[in-house]
Amino acid sequence: MKILKILHMYADMLDLYGDSGNMEILEYRCRMRGIECETDHYSVDSEMPDFLSYDLIYIGGGADLEQQHIAADLLRCRAGIEKAYRDGVFLFLICGGYQLMGKYYRDADGNDIPGLGLFGYHTIAPESRKKRCIGNIVIRTEITGKAVDIVGFENHGGQTMGVKTPFGKVLYGNGNCSKSEAEGYFEKNVIATYLHGPCLAKNPEISDYMISYCLNRSADPPVELQPLDDSLEKKCRKVMLDRLINKYRQ
Amino acid sequence: MKRILIIIGKIIVRLLHLMKRNAGNLPGIILWHLSGHKAVSMFKVDCPIIAVTGTNGKTSVTNCIAQLFEGSGKKIITNREGNNLDTGICSLLLRHCDMKGRVNADYLILETDESHVPVVYSQLKLDTLVVLNFFRDQLDRNGEMETLIQKINGFCKTFSGNLILNGDDPNTARLGKANPANRNVKYFHAEPYAFATEKAFEASEGRFCPFCGEALDYEYYQYSHIGKFICKKCGFGSYEPYITAENIDLEKPVFTADGHEYSPKLNSIYNVYNMTAVAAAAKLYNIDQKVTDSVISTYTVNNGRMEKFMLGDRDTTLNLAKNPVGANMTLRVMNEMKGEKELLFVLNDNVADGLDVSWIWDINFSVFERVTRVVTSGTRAYDIAVRIKNSGYPAEKIVVCPDLDKSVEELAVTPGKKFVIANYTAVQPTRAALKRFIAGNGGNSQ
Ligand SMILES: [Zn+2]
Repeated sequence: MKILKILHMYADMLDLYGDSGNMEILEYRCRMRGIECETDHYSVDSEMPDFLSYDLIYIGGGADLEQQHIAADLLRCRAGIEKAYRDGVFLFLICGGYQLMGKYYRDADGNDIPGLGLFGYHTIAPESRKKRCIGNIVIRTEITGKAVDIVGFENHGGQTMGVKTPFGKVLYGNGNCSKSEAEGYFEKNVIATYLHGPCLAKNPEISDYMISYCLNRSADPPVELQPLDDSLEKKCRKVMLDRLINKYRQ
Repeated sequence: MKRILIIIGKIIVRLLHLMKRNAGNLPGIILWHLSGHKAVSMFKVDCPIIAVTGTNGKTSVTNCIAQLFEGSGKKIITNREGNNLDTGICSLLLRHCDMKGRVNADYLILETDESHVPVVYSQLKLDTLVVLNFFRDQLDRNGEMETLIQKINGFCKTFSGNLILNGDDPNTARLGKANPANRNVKYFHAEPYAFATEKAFEASEGRFCPFCGEALDYEYYQYSHIGKFICKKCGFGSYEPYITAENIDLEKPVFTADGHEYSPKLNSIYNVYNMTAVAAAAKLYNIDQKVTDSVISTYTVNNGRMEKFMLGDRDTTLNLAKNPVGANMTLRVMNEMKGEKELLFVLNDNVADGLDVSWIWDINFSVFERVTRVVTSGTRAYDIAVRIKNSGYPAEKIVVCPDLDKSVEELAVTPGKKFVIANYTAVQPTRAALKRFIAGNGGNSQ
């Protein structure tokens, strides 16, 4: 049986709005199916990990100050992360993690913090620190082949521009820029998003997309994930969808 | 101009009073606008002001310090209802000042919101600032925690009054270095209690030295990031405590501070820290030991903070938890309690709760000890159920009842001990629901 290997980067510094919960959820969903799951941690100045040996690399979001601290360290890891990404390792990136994989992040004072440049987008923070996109957010994503409406919580100042393949379409909330139509960034082995909450809490399809992707990187014949009882999660999402969206449709 | 504003303010207070409306905040908000956002600058206060701030425990500590002075026969003014923003403090002073804006008292004891400390005390002269702790709380309103600490740190740079700081919280203790010329910095500290741990137990912030960036070294953690820490690189964390709580035994509960034994009513490590802060204030102002004894040994709260109920014959404890630290503390108290118990968790996401509920993922539910069933309620009843399920707790033992009265009925179906956790806007409705149940089915509340 394959062991799913996760590298959780900067868990001690980037953990806003329950972001570490995403790892707890992935581990839980693996455990319930008898899939062994191993999580390693990496933080500033730790020994350079072998990025290629992982199935999934995860980076959460953090306060602006912590983010600057991390940007420099992340550049040190650039070659390793890029190689892993090209090799098909899954990148799961929230908020700050999302921004730092782009070309650059321009802060409120106009200083550019270079990103890893893996993807073509960039992020600009508004001059006023008070202008933030904050609140519940609903997006419709079709990454699993079916339309799924997923619910999260966003809180970001940065406006991310130049995304050609978003994670989803905004049904409620802001998304990549204030009042924008698109949210996040997607490739078959990349989910980058502003959704906190944590993102996976009431959206089991997204967790399973990633687990399934990771298991099938090397599996032949392909592995089908055993279904779990997600009635609580789905009910939880429905309550929020009814509150945020459906009332406007009626 | 100031005279006119005071008169306008007084008229508003009088009108609200005649209309039998609460004058807790509105007069202050109006004066805030009229005074160009300097709502408290028009008052003349000659007596010493003591302010209490921090994420958790402000209300308790403010009330206790107020009792210290009241018990000493002093005339005090205090914001007992917790209107702790500049506008709330303005409303309070309006009610107590004369037509010239003079406030007549021996001491002002003011609970003050963290983000409002610089605002209020750049306008009023502060004698003592007590800072209890800084935890993640209501991020939406305050921006990020570091910004908040920076603001207060900025204030402390030019403050030369008494600074009573929690020496076991790096976020708080760092304020002691803001003004190197201030000789009135005093740290309170607590020796490890029975459940202190060598490793951090709950998600915590403040793991790095704010002065040199080095990871902090902990001798022990009491809870969250509170504990005995030191920076091995620059020495941050080495100080001589002004007062130390020792021999902490929460079973009784009892602890000693400055060699004196206290028997508080509340049995949490949390409360020991709060009461040590109170003892520090008592020491600073030379309060009679008998008065301090009586305040610390009788202080209790009947507003959803470790409040006891009997649902029929089911022994029930309700506690407010507005952030992960509070919730983790409550789980700790619940776990330390012997025997089996059931938990009701009521979670709301109203504006005053900060709208977002992701903080529940920072609660460590994997530590559940002898919890036989969980009932969830509130506007986010499903969110807390999903959270607890993902910690590994069996889903079939979780019952979701968004309706509060139904959730209390559900909780009371089985015999045994009950524990109830409610967040900020959920706590009063939960108390009311518990009391309704008791009225209909027997039992009692304190
Ligand atoms: Zn240091």
